[in-house]
Amino acid sequence: MDAKRTRAVNGVFSGVTFLSSFTVIMAVLGIFACLCLESAPAVREYGFFRFITETRWDYAENVFGGFRPLAGTVLTSAGALLIAVPVAIGIAVFITELCPSFLKGSISMAIELLAAIPSIIYGMWGLFTFAPLIENTLQKWIGGTFGQIPFIGSFFSAQYAGGVSIFTASLVLSIMIVPYIASIARDTFSQTPAILKESAYGIGATKWEVIRDVVMPYCKTGTNSGIIIAAGRALGETMAIAYVIGNRHGPLNSLFDPYTTITSVLANEFNEASGLHMSSLFLLAFILFIANFATLTAAKIYIRKKVNR
Amino acid sequence: MITGYARRKITNAAALVLSACAAALGLFFLFYILADVLRHGIMSINLKLFTLDAAPPMMAGAEGGLRQAFAGQLMLTGGAVLIGVPLGILGGTFLAEYGRFSKIGRFISGLSDITVSMPSIIIGTFIYSILVKPFGGFNGWAGAAALAVIMLPIVIRTTEEMMRLVPWTTREAAFALGAPYYKVITQVVWRGAAAGIFTGILLSVARVAGETAPLLFTSFNNNFLTFDMSGPMPSLTVTIYQYAASPYEEWVKLAWAASFVITLFILIINILGRQFIKWRYKN
Amino acid sequence: MEQRDVILRVRDLNFYYGKKHAVQGVSMDVEKNRITALIGPSGCGKTTLLRCFNRMHDLYAGNRHEGEIIFKGKNILDKDTDVTSLRSEMGMVFQKPTPFPMTIFDNIAYGLRLKGIKNKTELADRIEKAIKQAALWDEVSDRLNTSAGGLSGGQQQRLVIARALAVEPDVILFDEPTSALDPISTGKIEELMTSIKNKVTIVIVTHNMQQAARISDYTAFMYLGRLVEYDKTDVMFTAPNEKLTEDYITGRFG
Repeated sequence: MDAKRTRAVNGVFSGVTFLSSFTVIMAVLGIFACLCLESAPAVREYGFFRFITETRWDYAENVFGGFRPLAGTVLTSAGALLIAVPVAIGIAVFITELCPSFLKGSISMAIELLAAIPSIIYGMWGLFTFAPLIENTLQKWIGGTFGQIPFIGSFFSAQYAGGVSIFTASLVLSIMIVPYIASIARDTFSQTPAILKESAYGIGATKWEVIRDVVMPYCKTGTNSGIIIAAGRALGETMAIAYVIGNRHGPLNSLFDPYTTITSVLANEFNEASGLHMSSLFLLAFILFIANFATLTAAKIYIRKKVNR
Repeated sequence: MITGYARRKITNAAALVLSACAAALGLFFLFYILADVLRHGIMSINLKLFTLDAAPPMMAGAEGGLRQAFAGQLMLTGGAVLIGVPLGILGGTFLAEYGRFSKIGRFISGLSDITVSMPSIIIGTFIYSILVKPFGGFNGWAGAAALAVIMLPIVIRTTEEMMRLVPWTTREAAFALGAPYYKVITQVVWRGAAAGIFTGILLSVARVAGETAPLLFTSFNNNFLTFDMSGPMPSLTVTIYQYAASPYEEWVKLAWAASFVITLFILIINILGRQFIKWRYKN
Repeated sequence: MEQRDVILRVRDLNFYYGKKHAVQGVSMDVEKNRITALIGPSGCGKTTLLRCFNRMHDLYAGNRHEGEIIFKGKNILDKDTDVTSLRSEMGMVFQKPTPFPMTIFDNIAYGLRLKGIKNKTELADRIEKAIKQAALWDEVSDRLNTSAGGLSGGQQQRLVIARALAVEPDVILFDEPTSALDPISTGKIEELMTSIKNKVTIVIVTHNMQQAARISDYTAFMYLGRLVEYDKTDVMFTAPNEKLTEDYITGRFG
């Protein structure tokens, strides 16, 4: 009798834990279904392909094309990765190979804290402090140096004031994703077997040669997956971008033009939208969801494949 | 040969100097941002910030604080903890125990990892379409639910990891005394993993406390103190977002003050939590 | 001892890991083109001594040496020693095989490329020569461009030896090179060491006394950081001077 009750309680408990974990699947399926349903009108109106190639985003004409927000998301993320990857790997090299051991813990923690600062704080800092600084320094310098080159010079000169631009957004985004790459790279670097490094030192390699030829190839999988995860984060980053991208639905003619991304257009327009406008925003959210999900799934599959080999 | 060797030495020195510069750059930006928030925020920190509600801008002599936003933030975060933590702990328990060798367990674990990095604004749009639109307006429950969806995978994965750290022999020892599995879990494994799970929950609270995007379309904002979760709820982050973009100097100041408080809170939890984990799991 | 051609002259060497005095006042001469074995129980300082020869300890903080190790007329423990070029003259082989995450060819080419050899035919020639010296040619000649990770443990260890040989060092330091290998692979490595000693001086740390007896010309017995006895191997194993050496060799402790 007692054994029977015990078995029943255990069964109920295991069922409850299973259902709780199942909520993750429910949430993901729910997000997928909702975004599908809500974006259906926009897909019916334009078709998926026309939506992503349509450049106009015009309330007056009631035309909403996804090209610019999509391009903005891709460009800011790519720009951010371009800057963040070398910096983050440099940080990992410093922490694992150069840093005196009593400082290791605090420097690692400081870099990780960069990831803990809320997005909106990056936004405040970016808008009020960093963007004006960029406008008066890098933007001026690049415009003055490359702006004179015929044909492509205009790409480097600023047309708008305030320093909010796709350039500033990429910079802020790069600071935000550095810790993701750096901490994964650091973890894998520090797992390189000591005798593997010693045997490279043993045939007369310099420290940098050991890092480049032994540590980095050995840690390729881990570092690459860190980069993919950071790319996924960059695609979905919202509040900081919403502050410093400038939210302009116009053609991108210069590195220093304000522009738009999926997340910034969502943050700015969602609450005032209705009808086709709303549905187009949902379609953008859906595209972002798929892109982010695919990126992170790719990272998972990549690791599994490499590790199992 | 000599020049080749000299070049290798120079390359080595250059690469190492550059890596030190990268680390310095990272630290520089951390302190730059923190100093900036401190510089702008500290002047507006006073008791009124916590005891007064927001005053309408441009009103002569009006003094305002952010009491409503602090209260709202607490309620939203509290609501998220109420929903997300029990589900997360139980779900993580399934992944670490009953489901640890099952395909579905591994699948959910992997899916949670992916969901941890899901853009929070997408969760906002999702909750909008199931909890705001059908009920005719922004409400606090929707905000809490959105934060809970963000917390859930974090708590699930931390719980799973922390329970896996409890050695299998500990469970066997309890089984050998004749304890059923659910008692082994609740009385032995949970106790062993409690410190880690608790820290994980704290860190997830710090994470959602800084979230803005999922609240924009769910709890929205409110300039008045309210305890009614079925109406729009103010939060610190959305208040920062709206006030910072406003043309009123007083409001921008309040936005900086709120930024300071929230950054301080999140940094302290992160530093303490990480130190605690390090200390607890040193071996 | 008679007049010998000495390649490494160790004088009053002391080594500290932080406060731990791991090598205590060791003096010994390592003869050129001979195999010198360092034996002794775990923790006796033999590996620590070996790693002083190529300054491997420099990689880690908190280590300190005193004394002299004269190599090519210069004290390598001097502050101004260029450890990178020292290490290219003093190869090292570890307990476990350490192929780099590259192809077989690139593994061996690695040290040569560091030395500035870029000419393809010269590289190929020297790599072939090194692999042949390491008695590995027949087994890998048809798959030089595959990953070194695909070789067996014994093959990997011979690959690592070929990699060390390719840069033509004066000395190769072996740190228990066969402790992770089966008896057949061990036999091949021992044979290989004997066959290369006319080209390179070998210092080997080993736990295996039979191995020391089989292959070495000189044997040094260390205990608790001190060099207890150092002599020709046949003398050490038949008529040691010290009671402690005899006890160790006859298996009475350790």
